[in-house]
Amino acid sequence: MRYPAGPDDPEHPATPGVRPFLRGKEAPPAPQEVAPALRPFVITSGRVAAVDPDIGLETQVSALPSAFYARLSPEQRAIVQLCRDPLSLAEISAQLRMHFGVTRILVCDLRAAGHLDVHVLQSDFPDPDTIMRVIRGLRSIL
Amino acid sequence: MPEPPRRKAPVPVKIIVAGGFGVGKTTTVGAISEISPLTTEAEMTMESVGVDDPGQASAKTTTTIAMDFGCVTIDQTLKLYLFGTPGQSRFSFMWDDLVRGALGALVVVDTSRIDDCYPAVDYFERAGLPFVVGVNTFNGQLGYNLDEVRWALTVRDEVPVVQFDARFRGSVRDALLVVLDQALNKALRMRQ
Ligand SMILES: Nc1nc2c(ncn2[C@@H]2O[C@H](COP(=O)(O)OP(=O)(O)O)[C@@H](O)[C@H]2O)c(=O)[nH]1
Ligand SMILES: [Mg+2]
Repeated sequence: MRYPAGPDDPEHPATPGVRPFLRGKEAPPAPQEVAPALRPFVITSGRVAAVDPDIGLETQVSALPSAFYARLSPEQRAIVQLCRDPLSLAEISAQLRMHFGVTRILVCDLRAAGHLDVHVLQSDFPDPDTIMRVIRGLRSIL
Repeated sequence: MPEPPRRKAPVPVKIIVAGGFGVGKTTTVGAISEISPLTTEAEMTMESVGVDDPGQASAKTTTTIAMDFGCVTIDQTLKLYLFGTPGQSRFSFMWDDLVRGALGALVVVDTSRIDDCYPAVDYFERAGLPFVVGVNTFNGQLGYNLDEVRWALTVRDEVPVVQFDARFRGSVRDALLVVLDQALNKALRMRQ
Protein backbone atom coordinates (compact mmCIF):
# COMPACT_ATOMS: atom_id res chain seq x y z
CA MET A 1 0.00 0.00 0.00
CA ARG A 2 0.94 3.64 -0.35
CA TYR A 3 1.13 5.56 2.88
CA PRO A 4 -1.12 8.57 3.12
CA ALA A 5 0.56 11.94 2.97
CA GLY A 6 -1.83 13.29 5.57
CA PRO A 7 -5.48 13.91 6.35
CA ASP A 8 -5.79 16.36 3.47
CA ASP A 9 -4.31 14.08 0.81
CA PRO A 10 -6.97 14.31 -1.93
CA GLU A 11 -5.93 11.07 -3.60
CA HIS A 12 -6.26 9.01 -0.45
CA PRO A 13 -8.99 10.49 1.70
CA ALA A 14 -9.57 9.12 5.16
CA THR A 15 -12.24 6.49 5.54
CA PRO A 16 -13.02 6.73 9.23
CA GLY A 17 -13.17 3.43 11.00
CA VAL A 18 -12.18 1.41 7.98
CA ARG A 19 -8.62 0.28 7.53
CA PRO A 20 -7.69 -0.21 3.86
CA PHE A 21 -7.70 -3.99 3.84
CA LEU A 22 -11.21 -4.11 5.20
CA ARG A 23 -12.64 -1.61 2.74
CA GLY A 24 -15.59 -2.98 0.85
CA LYS A 25 -16.13 -5.83 3.26
CA GLU A 26 -19.26 -6.50 5.20
CA ALA A 27 -19.13 -5.54 8.86
CA PRO A 28 -16.48 -7.74 10.46
CA PRO A 29 -17.80 -10.58 12.59
CA ALA A 30 -17.95 -9.93 16.31
CA PRO A 31 -15.42 -11.87 18.39
CA GLN A 32 -17.00 -15.18 19.19
CA GLU A 33 -17.12 -17.14 22.34
CA VAL A 34 -15.28 -20.41 21.95
CA ALA A 35 -17.10 -22.08 19.07
CA PRO A 36 -19.14 -25.06 20.32
CA ALA A 37 -17.58 -27.36 17.75
CA LEU A 38 -14.14 -26.45 19.06
CA ARG A 39 -14.91 -27.03 22.71
CA PRO A 40 -12.80 -30.11 22.81
CA PHE A 41 -13.59 -33.30 24.59
CA VAL A 42 -10.43 -35.19 24.58
CA ILE A 43 -9.90 -38.80 25.24
CA THR A 44 -6.96 -39.22 27.52
CA SER A 45 -5.82 -42.47 29.07
CA GLY A 46 -9.15 -44.11 28.42
CA ARG A 47 -11.11 -41.27 30.05
CA VAL A 48 -12.84 -38.25 28.64
CA ALA A 49 -11.70 -34.94 30.10
CA ALA A 50 -13.29 -31.65 29.12
CA VAL A 51 -10.81 -28.88 28.38
CA ASP A 52 -11.68 -25.85 30.47
CA PRO A 53 -11.52 -22.73 28.25
CA ASP A 54 -10.95 -20.60 31.38
CA ILE A 55 -7.49 -22.12 31.64
CA GLY A 56 -5.25 -19.67 29.84
CA LEU A 57 -1.57 -19.21 29.10
CA GLU A 58 -1.05 -17.32 32.36
CA THR A 59 -3.12 -19.68 34.58
CA GLN A 60 -1.12 -20.92 37.57
CA VAL A 61 -0.77 -24.61 38.27
CA SER A 62 0.60 -26.33 41.36
CA ALA A 63 1.16 -29.97 42.24
CA LEU A 64 -0.94 -31.77 44.85
CA PRO A 65 0.32 -34.74 46.86
CA SER A 66 -1.01 -37.81 45.13
CA ALA A 67 -1.04 -41.55 45.64
CA PHE A 68 -1.01 -42.50 41.98
CA TYR A 69 2.00 -40.44 41.01
CA ALA A 70 3.85 -43.58 39.84
CA ARG A 71 1.20 -44.35 37.24
CA LEU A 72 1.61 -41.13 35.32
CA SER A 73 2.95 -40.96 31.78
CA PRO A 74 6.39 -39.34 31.41
CA GLU A 75 4.81 -36.10 30.14
CA GLN A 76 2.36 -35.98 33.03
CA ARG A 77 5.06 -36.71 35.56
CA ALA A 78 7.23 -33.97 34.08
CA ILE A 79 4.38 -31.48 34.52
CA VAL A 80 3.75 -32.47 38.15
CA GLN A 81 7.46 -32.23 38.94
CA LEU A 82 7.73 -28.79 37.35
CA CYS A 83 4.82 -27.49 39.40
CA ARG A 84 6.21 -28.08 42.91
CA ASP A 85 6.11 -24.29 42.97
CA PRO A 86 3.24 -22.67 41.11
CA LEU A 87 3.92 -22.18 37.41
CA SER A 88 1.94 -20.83 34.47
CA LEU A 89 0.80 -23.04 31.61
CA ALA A 90 2.90 -20.96 29.24
CA GLU A 91 6.03 -21.72 31.27
CA ILE A 92 5.19 -25.43 31.46
CA SER A 93 4.63 -25.48 27.71
CA ALA A 94 7.91 -23.66 27.00
CA GLN A 95 10.04 -25.68 29.40
CA LEU A 96 8.71 -29.05 28.24
CA ARG A 97 8.64 -27.91 24.59
CA MET A 98 5.04 -28.95 24.33
CA HIS A 99 2.36 -27.21 22.29
CA PHE A 100 0.10 -25.06 24.49
CA GLY A 101 -2.99 -27.02 23.40
CA VAL A 102 -1.38 -30.32 24.38
CA THR A 103 -0.19 -28.87 27.68
CA ARG A 104 -3.70 -27.69 28.50
CA ILE A 105 -5.18 -31.11 27.75
CA LEU A 106 -2.66 -32.84 30.00
CA VAL A 107 -3.15 -30.27 32.76
CA CYS A 108 -6.94 -30.69 32.63
CA ASP A 109 -6.51 -34.42 32.83
CA LEU A 110 -4.13 -34.18 35.78
CA ARG A 111 -6.52 -31.86 37.55
CA ALA A 112 -9.41 -34.30 37.01
CA ALA A 113 -7.24 -37.06 38.49
CA GLY A 114 -6.47 -34.94 41.56
CA HIS A 115 -2.77 -34.42 40.88
CA LEU A 116 -2.84 -30.71 40.16
CA ASP A 117 -4.41 -27.60 41.59
CA VAL A 118 -5.34 -25.26 38.74
CA HIS A 119 -5.95 -21.72 39.95
CA VAL A 120 -8.71 -20.54 37.64
CA LEU A 121 -9.64 -16.90 38.22
CA GLN A 122 -13.22 -15.92 38.96
CA SER A 123 -13.57 -12.72 37.00
CA ASP A 124 -12.95 -12.11 33.34
CA PHE A 125 -11.30 -8.71 33.77
CA PRO A 126 -9.00 -7.70 36.64
CA ASP A 127 -10.45 -5.33 39.24
CA PRO A 128 -9.22 -1.73 39.67
CA ASP A 129 -7.26 -2.55 42.85
CA THR A 130 -5.26 -5.25 41.10
CA ILE A 131 -4.49 -2.92 38.20
CA MET A 132 -3.42 -0.17 40.64
CA ARG A 133 -1.04 -2.63 42.28
CA VAL A 134 0.50 -3.48 38.90
CA ILE A 135 0.91 0.24 38.14
CA ARG A 136 2.56 0.96 41.49
CA GLY A 137 4.69 -2.17 41.17
CA LEU A 138 6.00 -1.31 37.72
CA ARG A 139 6.78 2.24 38.82
CA SER A 140 8.74 1.11 41.88
CA ILE A 141 10.45 -2.01 40.60
CA LEU A 142 11.88 -0.62 37.38
CA MET B 1 5.10 -38.40 45.69
CA PRO B 2 5.51 -34.64 45.30
CA GLU B 3 5.59 -32.46 48.36
CA PRO B 4 2.88 -29.84 48.87
CA PRO B 5 3.58 -26.58 47.03
CA ARG B 6 6.07 -24.43 48.84
CA ARG B 7 4.54 -21.16 47.71
CA LYS B 8 1.03 -19.88 47.17
CA ALA B 9 0.11 -19.27 43.53
CA PRO B 10 0.28 -15.58 42.55
CA VAL B 11 -2.59 -13.89 40.74
CA PRO B 12 -1.45 -13.62 37.12
CA VAL B 13 -2.29 -10.64 34.93
CA LYS B 14 -1.32 -10.37 31.29
CA ILE B 15 -0.68 -7.77 28.66
CA ILE B 16 -0.44 -8.66 24.98
CA VAL B 17 2.30 -7.22 22.77
CA ALA B 18 1.09 -7.46 19.19
CA GLY B 19 2.18 -6.31 15.75
CA GLY B 20 3.69 -7.47 12.47
CA PHE B 21 6.85 -9.49 12.02
CA GLY B 22 10.07 -7.73 12.96
CA VAL B 23 8.48 -4.66 14.53
CA GLY B 24 10.13 -5.28 17.90
CA LYS B 25 7.72 -7.43 19.92
CA THR B 26 10.34 -9.85 21.24
CA THR B 27 12.67 -6.93 21.92
CA THR B 28 9.88 -5.23 23.89
CA VAL B 29 9.16 -8.32 25.99
CA GLY B 30 12.85 -9.01 26.57
CA ALA B 31 13.59 -5.44 27.65
CA ILE B 32 11.30 -5.63 30.65
CA SER B 33 11.04 -9.33 31.50
CA GLU B 34 12.92 -10.76 34.48
CA ILE B 35 13.47 -13.99 32.54
CA SER B 36 14.82 -14.09 29.00
CA PRO B 37 11.81 -14.55 26.73
CA LEU B 38 10.49 -18.10 26.46
CA THR B 39 8.57 -19.46 23.50
CA THR B 40 5.36 -21.41 23.39
CA GLU B 41 3.48 -22.64 20.37
CA ALA B 42 -0.25 -22.30 20.13
CA GLU B 43 -3.09 -22.45 17.65
CA MET B 44 -4.49 -19.29 16.21
CA THR B 45 -7.43 -18.98 13.82
CA MET B 46 -6.52 -16.85 10.83
CA GLU B 47 -8.94 -15.47 8.31
CA SER B 48 -7.51 -14.21 5.07
CA VAL B 49 -9.15 -11.05 3.86
CA GLY B 50 -9.51 -10.30 0.17
CA VAL B 51 -7.33 -7.30 -0.47
CA ASP B 52 -7.31 -7.50 -4.23
CA ASP B 53 -10.82 -8.89 -4.51
CA PRO B 54 -12.85 -7.83 -1.48
CA GLY B 55 -15.89 -9.80 -2.60
CA GLN B 56 -14.00 -13.03 -2.37
CA ALA B 57 -15.07 -15.42 0.36
CA SER B 58 -12.54 -15.47 3.16
CA ALA B 59 -10.93 -18.69 4.24
CA LYS B 60 -10.47 -19.62 7.88
CA THR B 61 -7.42 -21.61 8.76
CA THR B 62 -5.90 -22.70 12.02
CA THR B 63 -2.21 -22.06 12.22
CA THR B 64 0.36 -22.88 14.85
CA ILE B 65 2.26 -19.78 15.80
CA ALA B 66 5.27 -19.26 18.03
CA MET B 67 4.78 -16.76 20.77
CA ASP B 68 7.40 -15.16 22.99
CA PHE B 69 6.61 -14.30 26.54
CA GLY B 70 8.19 -12.96 29.68
CA CYS B 71 7.14 -11.88 33.15
CA VAL B 72 7.61 -9.34 35.90
CA THR B 73 6.99 -10.31 39.53
CA ILE B 74 5.12 -7.41 41.11
CA ASP B 75 5.15 -9.04 44.56
CA GLN B 76 4.64 -12.51 46.02
CA THR B 77 0.96 -12.45 45.18
CA LEU B 78 0.90 -10.73 41.80
CA LYS B 79 2.73 -11.51 38.57
CA LEU B 80 2.58 -9.70 35.23
CA TYR B 81 2.94 -11.74 32.04
CA LEU B 82 3.69 -10.29 28.62
CA PHE B 83 2.82 -12.26 25.52
CA GLY B 84 4.23 -11.26 22.16
CA THR B 85 1.93 -12.40 19.41
CA PRO B 86 2.55 -12.10 15.69
CA GLY B 87 -0.03 -10.69 13.37
CA GLN B 88 0.31 -10.66 9.65
CA SER B 89 -0.96 -8.27 7.08
CA ARG B 90 -3.77 -9.81 4.98
CA PHE B 91 -4.86 -12.05 7.83
CA SER B 92 -7.26 -11.13 10.53
CA PHE B 93 -6.79 -13.26 13.58
CA MET B 94 -9.07 -14.61 16.20
CA TRP B 95 -7.59 -15.73 19.39
CA ASP B 96 -9.96 -15.76 22.28
CA ASP B 97 -7.62 -17.76 24.52
CA LEU B 98 -5.21 -14.89 24.35
CA VAL B 99 -7.55 -11.98 25.10
CA ARG B 100 -9.63 -13.73 27.76
CA GLY B 101 -8.63 -12.14 31.05
CA ALA B 102 -6.05 -9.84 29.44
CA LEU B 103 -5.64 -6.33 30.86
CA GLY B 104 -4.91 -4.82 27.50
CA ALA B 105 -2.53 -4.75 24.59
CA LEU B 106 0.38 -2.77 23.24
CA VAL B 107 0.29 -2.74 19.45
CA VAL B 108 3.84 -2.20 18.25
CA VAL B 109 4.20 -0.28 14.99
CA ASP B 110 7.14 0.22 12.68
CA THR B 111 6.36 3.35 10.67
CA SER B 112 7.94 1.93 7.53
CA ARG B 113 5.27 -0.80 7.50
CA ILE B 114 2.26 0.69 9.22
CA ASP B 115 -0.27 -1.67 7.68
CA ASP B 116 1.29 -4.71 9.41
CA CYS B 117 -0.54 -3.76 12.57
CA TYR B 118 -4.05 -3.48 11.08
CA PRO B 119 -5.12 -7.02 12.02
CA ALA B 120 -4.14 -6.47 15.66
CA VAL B 121 -5.88 -3.08 15.84
CA ASP B 122 -9.01 -4.54 14.27
CA TYR B 123 -9.08 -7.52 16.57
CA PHE B 124 -8.61 -5.59 19.81
CA GLU B 125 -11.19 -3.02 18.72
CA ARG B 126 -13.76 -5.74 18.07
CA ALA B 127 -12.86 -7.63 21.25
CA GLY B 128 -13.30 -4.45 23.32
CA LEU B 129 -9.83 -4.86 24.80
CA PRO B 130 -8.04 -1.67 25.92
CA PHE B 131 -5.06 -1.08 23.68
CA VAL B 132 -2.37 1.47 22.98
CA VAL B 133 -0.48 2.00 19.73
CA GLY B 134 3.24 2.10 20.46
CA VAL B 135 5.39 3.44 17.64
CA ASN B 136 8.82 1.83 17.93
CA THR B 137 11.47 4.42 17.16
CA PHE B 138 14.10 2.37 15.36
CA ASN B 139 17.34 4.33 15.93
CA GLY B 140 15.36 7.26 17.24
CA GLN B 141 13.85 7.70 13.79
CA LEU B 142 10.18 8.15 13.25
CA GLY B 143 9.12 7.97 9.61
CA TYR B 144 5.84 9.69 10.35
CA ASN B 145 4.72 11.79 13.27
CA LEU B 146 2.22 10.43 15.78
CA ASP B 147 -0.70 12.34 14.28
CA GLU B 148 0.01 10.85 10.88
CA VAL B 149 0.17 7.36 12.39
CA ARG B 150 -3.13 7.97 14.19
CA TRP B 151 -4.68 9.18 10.97
CA ALA B 152 -3.40 6.19 8.99
CA LEU B 153 -4.80 3.78 11.57
CA THR B 154 -8.11 5.61 12.04
CA VAL B 155 -8.22 4.63 15.71
CA ARG B 156 -10.70 6.28 18.06
CA ASP B 157 -9.56 9.44 19.86
CA GLU B 158 -9.50 7.58 23.19
CA VAL B 159 -6.83 5.18 21.91
CA PRO B 160 -3.42 6.57 22.88
CA VAL B 161 -0.72 6.63 20.21
CA VAL B 162 2.68 6.85 21.89
CA GLN B 163 6.30 6.66 20.89
CA PHE B 164 8.73 4.29 22.61
CA ASP B 165 11.99 2.43 22.16
CA ALA B 166 11.62 -1.34 22.40
CA ARG B 167 15.24 -1.77 23.49
CA PHE B 168 14.97 0.21 26.70
CA ARG B 169 13.36 -0.99 29.86
CA GLY B 170 12.21 2.40 31.08
CA SER B 171 10.69 3.22 27.72
CA VAL B 172 8.83 -0.11 27.55
CA ARG B 173 7.66 0.38 31.12
CA ASP B 174 6.24 3.82 30.28
CA ALA B 175 4.38 2.40 27.27
CA LEU B 176 2.96 -0.40 29.45
CA LEU B 177 1.87 2.16 32.05
CA VAL B 178 -0.25 3.81 29.35
CA VAL B 179 -1.84 0.41 28.63
CA LEU B 180 -2.47 -0.07 32.36
CA ASP B 181 -4.04 3.37 32.56
CA GLN B 182 -6.49 2.38 29.81
CA ALA B 183 -7.17 -0.90 31.61
CA LEU B 184 -7.84 0.94 34.85
CA ASN B 185 -10.39 3.17 33.10
CA LYS B 186 -12.17 0.09 31.78
CA ALA B 187 -12.14 -1.62 35.18
CA LEU B 188 -13.60 1.50 36.83
CA ARG B 189 -16.31 1.76 34.16
CA MET B 190 -17.18 -1.91 34.69
CA ARG B 191 -17.51 -1.42 38.43
CA GLN B 192 -20.11 1.36 38.04
N1 LIG C 1 17.77 -0.25 16.02
C1 LIG C 1 16.70 -0.82 16.55
N2 LIG C 1 16.50 -2.12 16.29
C2 LIG C 1 15.43 -2.71 16.82
C3 LIG C 1 14.48 -2.02 17.62
N3 LIG C 1 13.49 -2.88 17.98
C4 LIG C 1 13.81 -4.06 17.43
N4 LIG C 1 14.96 -3.98 16.73
C5 LIG C 1 15.61 -5.06 15.95
O1 LIG C 1 14.69 -5.45 14.95
C6 LIG C 1 14.73 -6.86 14.79
C7 LIG C 1 13.36 -7.47 15.00
O2 LIG C 1 12.96 -7.29 16.34
P1 LIG C 1 12.10 -8.38 17.12
O3 LIG C 1 11.91 -7.88 18.51
O4 LIG C 1 12.67 -9.74 16.98
O5 LIG C 1 10.73 -8.29 16.31
P2 LIG C 1 9.43 -9.22 16.40
O6 LIG C 1 9.41 -10.05 15.17
O7 LIG C 1 8.30 -8.23 16.41
O8 LIG C 1 9.50 -10.01 17.65
C8 LIG C 1 15.76 -7.39 15.76
O9 LIG C 1 16.97 -7.58 15.09
C9 LIG C 1 15.87 -6.28 16.79
O10 LIG C 1 17.15 -6.27 17.39
C10 LIG C 1 14.72 -0.62 17.88
O11 LIG C 1 13.97 0.08 18.54
N5 LIG C 1 15.85 -0.09 17.30
MG1 LIG D 1 9.46 -12.11 17.81
